[in-house]
Amino acid sequence: MSDAANADLVERSEADRLQKGGIIAQLVKRPEIGAFVGMIVIIVLLGWASEWRVYNALGLKNNLSIIGQLGIIAVGACLLMIAGEFDLSIGSMIGFAGMSIAMMLKWGLPFGMGEATPVSAFFLTLMMTLTLGWIIGNIVVRSGLSSFIVTLGFLFFLRGATEVSFRIFNEGSTQISGLQDFKETSWFASIFGGETFTWAYDLAFQLGFNLNRKGEQWVTGLDARVAWWLLLTFLAYIVLSRTQLGNWIFATGDNSESARANGVPVNKVRIGLFMFTAFCATLFAACQVFDTNTADAAKGNLKELEAIAVAVVGGTLMTGGFGSVIGIMFGAVIFGLVQNAVFFIPSIDGSYFRVFVGTVLLVAAFANENIRKRITGGI
Amino acid sequence: MEPLIRLEGIKKTFGPFTALNGVDLSVNKGEVLALLGDNGAGKSTLIKVMSGVHQPNGGTIYVDGKAQKFESPRDAAGAGIGTVYQDLALNPLISVTRNFFMGRELTRGFGPFGLLRMDEMDRITHDEMIKIGIDISDPSQAVGTMSGGQRQTLAIARAIYFGARVLILDEPTSALGQKQQMEVLKTIKKVRSMGDIAVILITHNEIHAQLVADRFVFLSLGQVIGGGMTSELQGPEIRRLMSGGAEIADLEQELEAIG
Repeated sequence: MSDAANADLVERSEADRLQKGGIIAQLVKRPEIGAFVGMIVIIVLLGWASEWRVYNALGLKNNLSIIGQLGIIAVGACLLMIAGEFDLSIGSMIGFAGMSIAMMLKWGLPFGMGEATPVSAFFLTLMMTLTLGWIIGNIVVRSGLSSFIVTLGFLFFLRGATEVSFRIFNEGSTQISGLQDFKETSWFASIFGGETFTWAYDLAFQLGFNLNRKGEQWVTGLDARVAWWLLLTFLAYIVLSRTQLGNWIFATGDNSESARANGVPVNKVRIGLFMFTAFCATLFAACQVFDTNTADAAKGNLKELEAIAVAVVGGTLMTGGFGSVIGIMFGAVIFGLVQNAVFFIPSIDGSYFRVFVGTVLLVAAFANENIRKRITGGI
Repeated sequence: MEPLIRLEGIKKTFGPFTALNGVDLSVNKGEVLALLGDNGAGKSTLIKVMSGVHQPNGGTIYVDGKAQKFESPRDAAGAGIGTVYQDLALNPLISVTRNFFMGRELTRGFGPFGLLRMDEMDRITHDEMIKIGIDISDPSQAVGTMSGGQRQTLAIARAIYFGARVLILDEPTSALGQKQQMEVLKTIKKVRSMGDIAVILITHNEIHAQLVADRFVFLSLGQVIGGGMTSELQGPEIRRLMSGGAEIADLEQELEAIG
């Protein structure tokens, strides 16, 4: 009897109303599909418009530097958005971390702990930023206030505190320049500010590319941040799609009450992700300080919004519960290329970048909503 | 036979308000008990006491004949009490498998960073759903694609898989279409036929209760006002008890009076 009942049920299964569809139908349900198509279009369009200078040896280095930089903070913003929260303090956190590292390198560690090395300056700064991330996370989960408002508060607070600290120690200036070139003397500084993928550029030179006008090797390598970006993206991808924590992040953003009822530690997930965005901002700042040997209180301005824009273009839902790290990678490539396009196509006005960001953002937000409906079968 | 779960004189007060005034009930293995009552009868409070959300002010809960004291929902779950609430605690954008194992994922490696054993989890989810009568062809599809009845079934299958021996269903057929209600009733029958699970079905709908329940218990104003085997109860009697005893007759007269 039960077999018959079973067959009957199987025959009339509701799930069969949803066609599984072919490969294309499966692909359009992927959160990153829009970003992927957009990326291909931009790559071809900018290449053509710049007579392919965008992708010569120096062009790749410069573009990937911007892309990597944006990608690092976008990964943090993306995971947090999937968990249903925003962090508007990322940009100010970059300024704060950069100032902290630079001030320690210039005037030594606080509280008379002596001379700073790149290692101690970085880790002391990281401790402070992680603590700030922990505080932001705790305020959000304990107060129940919107993370939008709490982190907006920290956006102003941290930027102001950074400027004030700079002026007090730095005779009224909000910039530090002419730091010692630590990446030449410290391996630790060079993993943030040095170069990476030098082998690829060497190989290209051996093969007869990558030449300057004198016929010598032109570019020696990519900025280290590109490697950090790829590493961070890879790890975030594994965590989000393959681990228990990843399932908790999705569950927290989709319906946190359901997640809580099933034993997911939603508050710990949220606090942890606020600390992760603080980590990403610190990494961004360290790469910048050790690369240029300068710091500026205005660094990172508006980066939080660019990071959120990249996350949305990459297919992350504003309402949480859905998104993809691979999509963020494509989104960072799109925005990085367009932001840098003015250097390769001098005839265009740089402000078109913002026009572009605004347009793409709106299109992406509509597209994401459609994807969400497709995934849930429009119910 | 010792009932799987037995409540004896359960009392619960909130300040001056008496929500439950000495409730006795028991459910055997392989039995479906329909718990009926009007709004405010104390059904929700009784569920919450059984599932460890509220602690009773008096009385005892016995599971397998052993007195239990639940300090938290976790205690109740540990003793084998599984509650499926109306909102089901499902996440629509996440896949069926990920919902099934939410918070209890099978992993390989250390702590929350452990890798998910996805294939194994997909297989278990698929098998458990088949057992209960639904063949989901693709466990990686989002729960949002499932019908209300299927979601209810998923929540029930999950509770059973993770050790529920007493399954409390809080109005599982409300807010569903006709066909989906039948689907849920089939699921309840399936659970009953498994033989080792006691089901407590909370409902407003006496027709549904008559279709699947073995016994009825009626609650009114925090007390058990009646009950019996399904076969012994007649429709009008059920409706009378559901609305809290004699009051329905008064209501009929009042309606008559209006003309």
